[in-house]
Amino acid sequence: MQRFRRIVAALALAATATTTVAACGGGESEDDSGAKTLKLWHYEGENSAMGVGWNRAIEIFKAEHPGVEVRFERKAFEQIQQNAGMIINSSEGPDIMEYNKGNATAGLLSSQGLLTDLSTEADKRGWAGKLSPSLQTTARYSDKGVMGSGKWFGVPNYGEYVTVYYNKDLFERNGVKVPTNMAEMTAAMDTFVGKGVTPLGMAGAEYPAGQLFYQLALSRADRQFVDNYQLYKNPVDFTADPLKYGADTFAEWVRKGYVAKNSASLKAEDMGTAFIAGKTPMIVSGSWWYGRFKTEMKANWDTFLFPGNTLHAGSSGNIWVVPENSKAKSLAYDFIDITLRPEIQDLIGNNGGVPVAADASKISDPKDRKLIEDFNTVSKQDGLAFYPDWPVPGYYDVLVGGFQGLINGSKSPDQVLDTIAKPYADGVKEITGK
Amino acid sequence: MAVSETVAATSPTATTPTPRTPRRAPRGRNAAYWLYLLPGAVLFVLVIGAPLVGTVYLSLTKWSGIGDPTFVGFDNYQRLLHDDVFWASFRNTVAMIVAMVVVPTVLGLLLASVLFDVIGRRFKPRTAAALRAAFYLPQVLPVVVAGIVWGWILRPDGAFNSLLDAVGLGALRHDWLGDPGTALPAVMAVMIWVQIGYPVVVFMAALQRVDPELYEAAEVDGANWLHRFRAITLPQIRPETFVVALTCTIAALKVFGPIFALTRGGPENATNVPSYFAYYTFFKKLQVGYGSAISTVLTLIIVVVAAVFIGMQARSERRDRGF
Repeated sequence: MQRFRRIVAALALAATATTTVAACGGGESEDDSGAKTLKLWHYEGENSAMGVGWNRAIEIFKAEHPGVEVRFERKAFEQIQQNAGMIINSSEGPDIMEYNKGNATAGLLSSQGLLTDLSTEADKRGWAGKLSPSLQTTARYSDKGVMGSGKWFGVPNYGEYVTVYYNKDLFERNGVKVPTNMAEMTAAMDTFVGKGVTPLGMAGAEYPAGQLFYQLALSRADRQFVDNYQLYKNPVDFTADPLKYGADTFAEWVRKGYVAKNSASLKAEDMGTAFIAGKTPMIVSGSWWYGRFKTEMKANWDTFLFPGNTLHAGSSGNIWVVPENSKAKSLAYDFIDITLRPEIQDLIGNNGGVPVAADASKISDPKDRKLIEDFNTVSKQDGLAFYPDWPVPGYYDVLVGGFQGLINGSKSPDQVLDTIAKPYADGVKEITGK
Repeated sequence: MAVSETVAATSPTATTPTPRTPRRAPRGRNAAYWLYLLPGAVLFVLVIGAPLVGTVYLSLTKWSGIGDPTFVGFDNYQRLLHDDVFWASFRNTVAMIVAMVVVPTVLGLLLASVLFDVIGRRFKPRTAAALRAAFYLPQVLPVVVAGIVWGWILRPDGAFNSLLDAVGLGALRHDWLGDPGTALPAVMAVMIWVQIGYPVVVFMAALQRVDPELYEAAEVDGANWLHRFRAITLPQIRPETFVVALTCTIAALKVFGPIFALTRGGPENATNVPSYFAYYTFFKKLQVGYGSAISTVLTLIIVVVAAVFIGMQARSERRDRGF
């Protein structure tokens, strides 16, 4: 018993000594809890726009927090995607981490109490003021983990949206003008079809088909539809417009040869490389392609927003989350704050990314500037409508399967809508209990 | 034997002054044998037993992978019975068994026999060995790599369609993996290509242990190649046939890699299989309980199939020995 007491006393003494030594580091920055280390994980490539921006943010953080060590680890996207729950539930997790936005990811972790509520910081540090309502959607989650309302569990600092990439050389060679509305868009595609060129690149085996369908549906939709579809505010009728219009028009575009009938098995990479190679005049896809096209494409190219739409597939980029087990929460908040500063936002923009709070006039390359101006236009008009596969877990594969049927002609638009309606309803019921 | 005797000698039974009875001695030896099984048994419990029990337990719950699972009894199994995708995946498994067991075993038998009996005799043995290696080559490739390469070959602007063009059959160009009508046959063809080398190698090894005098005697009696194949080759290599059929059937039941690399179960579930369906449900839909129920049913089917095969093999061996 006496030996036990001696051990406890020794431990207490050691603990006191440690605290005293830590307190002696006067003048050095540290966390509320005395943390001297910030463990930071993200999965962006070193040369990507975000990678460049965040490297600089780490430098600034270190300069402003002398004595604090930043232990940065670059992780693989899949590694975080599949293991985040276990990682941040353990003591081995990071203090701050980039994580996927959405109900099935950040929403799920927040509903299980694994993420820190950032609401107070968002108000105090003015993050809420820097992000438009549609950007805030992916930052806030209800008690059930449904995005769009409730507490702040993540902070985005870059955005993404679906736009139309076009090959200027092919447009000029075929005498096609950049369309500004749907009638001009179909006329442009008719011109290409008339010259034996399939105008729109497609990849049925991955996300592009679902996104084109969603863009078409959004041309007949309003914010109420997006809220119903994405946030389950009201039931969604898959047999009526705008979804019916989206599926019917998609089928019509396949029938008219705007989209190749034999593209059902192609992957997004195939679609992108065909565009890079100058084989395809247009693709409807996300801003995540931008940097790659800029680096690899020899032909002249540019972008324009999907003609006529005020709503566009798109959202904030992935978000910074602070695990509940983080031992350096206030350091983590400081880091998030730095990534939202104009310096970092401009750096992201000047490297081909889409910052959420950038001053477009500070972006030197005209093409980069246009990408950001278009995003700012969409964001300001509250036009980010998220992605069609977001509402329920596993819906991505449902949409891929459905639209493969529409591309290869094995299913009618009504059959496809039936195919995708049931998993949606089942998934919503699973989440909301209704 | 020496080791087991040493262990037996140090056992309490061996040191007791009481003379050993004939009945007790084998029990001592049996106890020693159990000792050797211990490391394997511990590993089995850790690597197979515990995860299996865990999966069966999870199959009785509703769980998203985070937080506490909710016990729901047999709900997941009831749901399985009414799930069209589940049944479609098992129908596709039958096609996989044809592609990975039936065709490779039959073709493998014929090829091995021709390589051994015809090529091996008329040409140098090295020729037969080279051909055997060529057939086995797809087995050496990681299956995901093979899947990606075949994906390139079969894509709309891929090598296969270009080949059709080149030989004047351009009208047959097709999106082979994108059409529900052709995706499964295309995947089956790839699987035959992947699998064929395995039975060829096993059967050729088996043929080498067959007494050549049997073939010579048959030839002297005027038996042609087909007669020799039916009367000597087939019965002599029956044990290897069982092994090939069993291992390939298990591989077909749990096939995942090629489906993941080639089609992800699409289009429209045309190539979905139970293991991919379980993966998708487990990791993509985050329905861990339901995914576990699919895995449990799949495990059960594999165990039953394996037991049936092993039983058939044992019966066949008993028959051969005249028991």
